[in-house]
Amino acid sequence: MNVEVETMVNGKLVHASVPARLHVADFLRQHLGLTGTHVGCEQGSCGMCTVMVDGEAVKSCLMLACQLDGRHVRTVESLAEDDRLSPLQQAFKEEHALQCGFCSPGFLMTATALAYQGKRPCRAEIREEIAGVLCRCTGYENVVTAIERWFAEHPQGAREDETADGARTA
Amino acid sequence: MTTLESSPERTAGRRPGALGVSVARKEDERLLRGDGQFTDDVDPARVLYMAVARCPYPHARIVRVDTSAAERLEGVQHVLSGPEVQRLSEPLGVLRPVPGAPRLPYYALAQDVATHEGQPVVSIVATSRHLAEDALELVDVEYQPLPHVVDVLAALEPDAPVLHPSVLGSNLLASNSDGRGDPAARFAEADVVVEGRFRIGRVTALPMETRGVVAQWRPGARELTVHCSTQVPHLIRKQLAESLRLRESEVRAIASDVGGGFGLKLGVFPEDVLACLHAMALHRPVKWSEDRGEHFRASTHGRESVHDYRIAADADGRILAMTDVYATDIGGWNSPFGSAQLSSVVFNGPYKVEDGYTERRVTLTNKTPVGAYRGYGQPEVNFAYERLMDRLARRLRMDPVELRARNMLKPADLPWVNPAGAVYDSGDYERCLRMAAERIGWAEHRAAPRRPRADGRLVGIGFSSFVERTGYASSRFLAKRGSQFGAHESITLRANRSGGIDAYTGVSTIGQSSETAFAQLVAEVFGTDYDAVTVHVGDTAASPLNTGSFASRTMIAAAGAIREASEQLARKTLRLAAFRLEVQPEELEIAGPLVRHRTEPGVAVPLAEVYSAAITGQGIPPGEDPGLEATSHFEPSDAAYSFGTAAALVAVDPETGEFGVERFVLVHDAGTVVNPKIVDGQVRGALAQGFGAALTEELRYDAETGQLVNGSMVDYFPPTAADLPPVELLHTEVPSPVTPFGIRGVGEVGTIPPGAAIANAICEALADHGVELDSLPVTPEKVWRALTSDKGVEQW
Ligand code: FES
Ligand code: FES
Repeated sequence: MNVEVETMVNGKLVHASVPARLHVADFLRQHLGLTGTHVGCEQGSCGMCTVMVDGEAVKSCLMLACQLDGRHVRTVESLAEDDRLSPLQQAFKEEHALQCGFCSPGFLMTATALAYQGKRPCRAEIREEIAGVLCRCTGYENVVTAIERWFAEHPQGAREDETADGARTA
Repeated sequence: MTTLESSPERTAGRRPGALGVSVARKEDERLLRGDGQFTDDVDPARVLYMAVARCPYPHARIVRVDTSAAERLEGVQHVLSGPEVQRLSEPLGVLRPVPGAPRLPYYALAQDVATHEGQPVVSIVATSRHLAEDALELVDVEYQPLPHVVDVLAALEPDAPVLHPSVLGSNLLASNSDGRGDPAARFAEADVVVEGRFRIGRVTALPMETRGVVAQWRPGARELTVHCSTQVPHLIRKQLAESLRLRESEVRAIASDVGGGFGLKLGVFPEDVLACLHAMALHRPVKWSEDRGEHFRASTHGRESVHDYRIAADADGRILAMTDVYATDIGGWNSPFGSAQLSSVVFNGPYKVEDGYTERRVTLTNKTPVGAYRGYGQPEVNFAYERLMDRLARRLRMDPVELRARNMLKPADLPWVNPAGAVYDSGDYERCLRMAAERIGWAEHRAAPRRPRADGRLVGIGFSSFVERTGYASSRFLAKRGSQFGAHESITLRANRSGGIDAYTGVSTIGQSSETAFAQLVAEVFGTDYDAVTVHVGDTAASPLNTGSFASRTMIAAAGAIREASEQLARKTLRLAAFRLEVQPEELEIAGPLVRHRTEPGVAVPLAEVYSAAITGQGIPPGEDPGLEATSHFEPSDAAYSFGTAAALVAVDPETGEFGVERFVLVHDAGTVVNPKIVDGQVRGALAQGFGAALTEELRYDAETGQLVNGSMVDYFPPTAADLPPVELLHTEVPSPVTPFGIRGVGEVGTIPPGAAIANAICEALADHGVELDSLPVTPEKVWRALTSDKGVEQW
């Protein structure tokens, strides 16, 4: 059974007819070709599939594509501007916050959602906030450092980034 | 926090990208943009999807398979079951066989009997993954459950059900031993003997990207292109060709980005063969992406062994002999990568022991096969001998640090051959131990131990010293063990007309930063800019034959090949430039984008021009071949041994057994460091896996039903960002004499010491309660049980 969906993805309006049982991660990956959103468990435990929906970090394997109707989605593909990594991505690069990089989209979108909600977490809070995303390579230390540094150096940038593509609910 | 990265004297005055500098990674740009290409991101036109029906029992005879209803479902394109697979393919290869083990004919689909839960029985291809999975529901298999055994020691009992009766009379797949001297005599004359049985739990590597494969077959061209999530593309190509009865030249394996491997993604798995068989039958691309539930049951597991370890010492604490007799659980079949044999190679740790004996018993059980997992046997045996070192110290009323120091191999003792025949290359083991003791504050603690804190907790400090074999010995050594691979790495360097160098390697990008480190070495040796070097990975059609990324071996072996190829390329570049500039090659040097005269500043030519001249052949000296390309292969003469000591400070509640690791210090030597940031990152990542296996991770099987009871991420607990104890990293740098540049491997060290260091700290804190811990993971429940029961607890 298919369902009609109209949603805003990375600032672009998308109409689609999708199977009712299709989850958002598969919708993004298979229907829209946005393969930066990864799938690691399909049960909400690993955080690989984390995207931002209406400003909140959401595990996109736990949400159905048809539930996106009328909502705004942001994926990792929206962060960099043309040739330039966003300051958050740049902080990840400089702090060596990734190894295989499979988890990185999950962390980037979790941090982006924190900033969007106006949070300014301290180091210990960052650890708690990102605990929904697993990483098997880095031991997290550098991920925490990168996010901490981004909050410290770009308190404004983080916010502006969020509004740029109309991700706020209209 | 001290890290390699933060010591400024290391990097002062060095070029960006040079050896020893923490240059930004080549891999990051695409990965951070979500533009990596993991296997599941490969999406050819007209692709079909595969799903696999799996045996739900630990041990069962397959009486009848009926796939007719599944075949009738709309969208289903192809179905394979056991007999057809046997007709079309050979059993899976074993890359690293257990020495002396018979080959068990492991086909991609179970034939008459399945020996573990999750073993593939039927595979189905359909137009969507949903449909393929729907069709699984329609597959009707009649199983006759057989008696099973899931405990490694029970499997060795005479009355245990035998897994492969047509090949073996028992579940002992193989046993073998190494030794030297007369340990029995040393035990007889020893003043003190300590011994124990240590159990190390079964864990999973749990890469965040599960396995996957995309197979495409062009029958006219006889070309099978296989994208898969692997650490060893060239080895996969060989194994697939053998299983599919193809010539190697008909298979091309490509591993683009790989979302973690940790040893699990070595060798060929049944699903790889199945996807290819379907693709070849259908002439359409076939894709399989493992789901996490399958991953827990059908991808290899790690560790699980039981060590009976004994140490004999004299009254002064000098160790006279060490012996380790152990059983490792290999699960239901020969796995692609054998089992934890490395325990024997380093069984005596960093201690000088002339008389020693180690014996391993590789045991079959009705569980998922155990394969390689980061550290591969070394964390297991470290837990046994380091627990016993503490017990020995307590018996002798000696300081455990002094006891360790007294027995450690000294720099002058090295190189040294251990009783198992391993050659420890070089190092200063005691320095790492002393640094760890100093950093954790051992002297102050030792002066006043076990006074409860205000919160009622007792604080203990525990140590674990280790050596780690990095690299993979020599091809001569491997030949004796029946390995299907050698020990070399290789590289092709090719100049291009944009003024850059393309480097082609068969290793895949699994997170260990090879693209970055390889480019750094090329830039360093050749003399050009780091940014001018582009590394192309993991495509067997483009790269010279290599071995792959495992056993912390990539850098050790690749560095030699990179050095040789870079020097070759540089020599020719200088000859060509000298011809253009009408000077002698010796007068020139490569510097960034130029070849320039060493003493006359005005005399220079851009590299891009030299490269162009070479590639077109226009403007090169007579007698010189056109082209500017070099390929080199290199095998290190032997393995290089990393070493170090970890110290853990743990606070334990003596009422409840609940505890927290409050500090963890690791002092480690990786020889010469190519990129400090990468080294720190590798060590931290491995430590996180070490903490997981030490504290929370364990795959549990129900003895009654033989089922894996925690086969999902909801009830298997790898550490999260909020769980890890604070880590202080310190490094020493003793270059290895057996590898290029003196590099030692770093990938696995962090997995080795956490278990023993943490358990030793808890036991030290609870010494007055006579608490002993003898199994991993260490949990509050185990500590509480040890506190409240004296059964099985040795009183000091
Ligand atoms: S794939 Fe969504 S949380 Fe794991
Ligand atoms: S970098 Fe590999 S999972 Fe995080």
